[in-house]
Amino acid sequence: MTVYESDLPGVGKKHEIDLPDGSQLVVVTHNEGRREVFLRESPESDSEKLFELPDRLARQIGTIMEGAYFQPVKSQNIETLLGGDTLLEWVEVDDDSPIVGQTLGESDLRAETGASVVAIERGDDVIPSPGADTTIEAGDTLVVVGTRANCEEFEARVTGA
Amino acid sequence: MAAGLFELGQVFAVLAIAGAVALRVGLSVIPLYVIGGMLSGPFVAGRFGLAHVPNSELLTILAEVGIVLLLFFLGLEFSLDRLLAARSRITRAGVVDAAINLPLGIAIGLALGWSIVEALLLGGIVYISSSAIITKTLIDLGWIANDEADPILGTLVFEDLFIAIYLAVVTSLVLGGADAGIAGLGRSLAIAFGFLGALLLAVQYGTAFFSRVLDVSDSESFVLRILGVVVPVAGFALSIGVSEAVAAFFVGMGFSTSGHRERIERQLTSVRDVFAAVFFFWIGVGTDPRLLVGVAVPLAAAVLLTTPAKVLSGYLGGRVYDLTEHRALRVGIGLVPRGEFSLVIAALAAGGSTTVMQETIPALAVGYVLVMSVLGTLLMQRSDAVEGVLGRFFSFGTDV
Repeated sequence: MTVYESDLPGVGKKHEIDLPDGSQLVVVTHNEGRREVFLRESPESDSEKLFELPDRLARQIGTIMEGAYFQPVKSQNIETLLGGDTLLEWVEVDDDSPIVGQTLGESDLRAETGASVVAIERGDDVIPSPGADTTIEAGDTLVVVGTRANCEEFEARVTGA
Repeated sequence: MAAGLFELGQVFAVLAIAGAVALRVGLSVIPLYVIGGMLSGPFVAGRFGLAHVPNSELLTILAEVGIVLLLFFLGLEFSLDRLLAARSRITRAGVVDAAINLPLGIAIGLALGWSIVEALLLGGIVYISSSAIITKTLIDLGWIANDEADPILGTLVFEDLFIAIYLAVVTSLVLGGADAGIAGLGRSLAIAFGFLGALLLAVQYGTAFFSRVLDVSDSESFVLRILGVVVPVAGFALSIGVSEAVAAFFVGMGFSTSGHRERIERQLTSVRDVFAAVFFFWIGVGTDPRLLVGVAVPLAAAVLLTTPAKVLSGYLGGRVYDLTEHRALRVGIGLVPRGEFSLVIAALAAGGSTTVMQETIPALAVGYVLVMSVLGTLLMQRSDAVEGVLGRFFSFGTDV
């Protein structure tokens, strides 16, 4: 990815980002903070304005894009195929999940669903190979290994559906 | 006291209405502020016996602050490093621009039978494009994200530097011309360059001072400290016959290296805009529409000659930046609007000693700016149509 930066005297700065399809994204940052975002279909065409944002909103949306609040690789919808029919899956534990407050042993998840918890992500920490006495808390992300059917069963148990 | 406050109230009311009209019709505010001033001044409202805004000392001083802040911002946004970083292209585009438009204006002045100083004033008026109108229109049209923005803004940077030197010289020629003689002129030039040289040294080596002055979190103190430096320095410059505008430009340059540039722009833009609006209004108040009629012929000549010249010089400047013909033409069209700096030169001319300087040049400049600010914006908005028309005369737009 190539980013070109140039000064716009009296206006602010311009960043041009080459996109994979040959078009360019142009971000004009005004001195007073406003951001304007343009798309240029090809290097020769005129820039079409997509949207503009005030400074504060631009920063917030920027941190969302950066993944500060939510990393898609940890999403419960993202799964990694380990080979055969075995998946590695990330499952979030919501506040209203029936397993909140139980230990892994009490929840009996492995016996019931066939999928096992190989790690728990809790905030910035990761608990690798959690034991049967590890308590599950709301907000945890369980890293689970099992067959596709096991994982679907597991997810259903965690969400209480 | 009460009357003065009411007059000032009228000024702001008229400016507010003029601004609303500008928004509605999609034009720059500058011509509408000038017209607002003209209509509510002694020459129109006054002649009809209506309550009018006199050309008072108060208004003149507020307008003067407008000039100072306009040039202060120019200095603030002017970066020598930026100019040096792209110097070959900016300089080539800028030199083409100056070499075509300035001599053309001087030639028009000489053809009108004016003196060399008077012709030089006209040269500056038709040469300098309007940063305010052009930058705003670039943003409105979205050209700011296109390649033509670079040569346009680059040329404006060159013009800014050129106009600082130009104003320093021409102020001495106009104000020093009164006591006549080469000796008098030499003395006023020596004072100008002595003072400005000292100011430039202070700017160059005073970064620590400028940073310390602004090291305050309270925004009220921040704004007051800036005004407390730039306005007295500019006022002192004027009191010894040196261009207050150039002094303000240099102070702006000094503040730009203080590390507070963005904050200054954020907090002082509205202050500058208020005083600049009063400046445009004041220009209108001092303009007699009958004088405008009197300069109709030279005005028409100036518009008809300098518009194509600016388009041509801008086109060549765009080609220096390796733009296609299509985009280079937009650079030319984009540099057509004239505005605030032409009027600053006109205000300077009005302080001169001859009738041409006191009456003809200001009237011509006002008429010229009214036409060129509107014409320039319209040409930019309809650049595709302009290109179509030009394409019929030249083999244009082959490599879009």
